[in-house]
Order: sequence, then C-alpha cells, then structure tokens
Amino acid sequence: MATVSMAPAPGMHQIDLSKLNLHQLAQLKQQLDQELNVFQDSLQTLKIAQGKFVESGESVEKITPQTKGKTVLVPLTGSMYVPGTIIDTDNVIIDIGTGYYAQKDIEGGKDYFKRKVQFVTEQMEKIQQLGIEKSKAREAICMMMEMKLQQQAQAQKASSS
Amino acid sequence: MTEEIQKKLQKELEIFNGVQKEYHKAVAQKQQLDSQLNENKAVKEELALLKKDSEVYKLIGPVLVKQDLEEARQNVSKRMEYISKEIKRTDDHISALENKQEALQENLNKLRNDLGKLKIKA
Repeated sequence: MATVSMAPAPGMHQIDLSKLNLHQLAQLKQQLDQELNVFQDSLQTLKIAQGKFVESGESVEKITPQTKGKTVLVPLTGSMYVPGTIIDTDNVIIDIGTGYYAQKDIEGGKDYFKRKVQFVTEQMEKIQQLGIEKSKAREAICMMMEMKLQQQAQAQKASSS
Repeated sequence: MTEEIQKKLQKELEIFNGVQKEYHKAVAQKQQLDSQLNENKAVKEELALLKKDSEVYKLIGPVLVKQDLEEARQNVSKRMEYISKEIKRTDDHISALENKQEALQENLNKLRNDLGKLKIKA
C-alpha cells in the first residue's frame, strides 16, 4: 500500500520547451510516457485493492445476529469444503497488514473497510490528477516537436530552392 | 594511440554499466522499503485505534498466534524505526552512486571526445 505524495519530485522545475532541441524533447517525451505507464499500473493495482476492500465490506454486512448457528461451508483449499457453524456473529478478525490480525466487532469491521476504501479512492484521485498534469505536459511537448519539425522542413526548403 | 583509448573506453564503459546496475538495484530496494514503511504505518494507525481489550493475532506460518496488544504496538514501532534507518542507508548509497555515475559519465565523454579527435586527424 503506497501513499502517493503530491510534492513534486526533486529535480522537477520549469523548463522552457522552446529552448530544447528535438532530441531533448523526444527524450523528455519518452520519460513522461514511462511515468504515465507507471501511473496506469498503479491505478490498476489500486483498483484491485479497492475491489477487495469493497467485497470484504459487503461480506461483513451479511453477518447479522440472525446468521448465528447457521451452517456454512468452509473452504479448506480452493476445491475442498467442510461444513461449519457460525458461532460468533459479533466479531470478525481482520488482516490489518504485515501479518497482524485484529479482532473487531461488526461495526468496527464495517468502519475499517469503509476507511480503507476511502483511503484507496483518495490515492487513486491523486494519481489521476498527477496523470492529467503529466498528459498535459506531454501534449505540450508533442506540439513543440511538431513545430520544430515544421520549422526544420521549411528551413530545408528555403535552403534548397 | 587510438587503440589504447578504445581499450580504455571499453573498460570505463564496463565500470559505468556496473555502477548503473547497482544504482537501479538500490532504487528498487528503496522503493520496496518505502512500501514496507507505508504498510507498517497503516498497521500502526490501526493498532492505535483498537480498544485496550481487543484481541490481536500475528500470522506465523499458517497459524494465527494471539499477541499482546501493547507488545504488538511496540513491535511495529521498532520495525518502523529499523526500516527508516534502512531507507536512510539506501538513500546515502543512492546519492553516492549518483555521484560516481556522474564522474564516470564525464570520463566517458572525455574519452569519446579524444577518440573522435584522433579519428579526424587520422
């Protein structure tokens, strides 16, 4: 679970795109493309995590005092189940990370997953924001490259005619 | 003369590649440590939220072993301290490698220039 910092990376500063040559622009574009790819991957991972938390939250909702004593099938492996009975409908044990599990009551469990979903959603929003900014920078670079190419073509035409 | 420089360039290039590899490894390690620290931070917050009489378990192999809440809190704090120290160490390592890389790059550029000049002359 990575926290996304909004602070600009060290070494990030404003540069005048028109002062760069084509090669530098291409390099910069490649770098931005790479960063955008990383963002895409992170978003994908966060989406999966978000889905898991939502699913777990929904499962907690299903445990009510009425479920007490009901039989369930407990998966021992992916393909083998044994029958079991729900005895405790007041508490759940939740994986809170790094191998630690905490017992919480139903309300606490619901709250936990709600918070986690919110946290992940916030991170996703941050990444999306960053992605939009990077895309804008990339667009500007593309436009500048095109301009430079046109200038070059024109200069060539002028010198050959 | 040209051959000598070429040989030297090749050797320097090899060193440079080695340093670059080490640098990438260090960066990957730092990223891993960062994510570990973040996970521990989340766990610490979660443990802080728990009531005093809440039960806490630790996954050891396939079994959950009951833990003392206070002990668990201390453990996580200790681990965070350790990871922070490791991150600092890796940071220093990374900046040292960055400096090394820069120096090597300069050296490489110089050698390439020399080689280019010699080739023009020849």
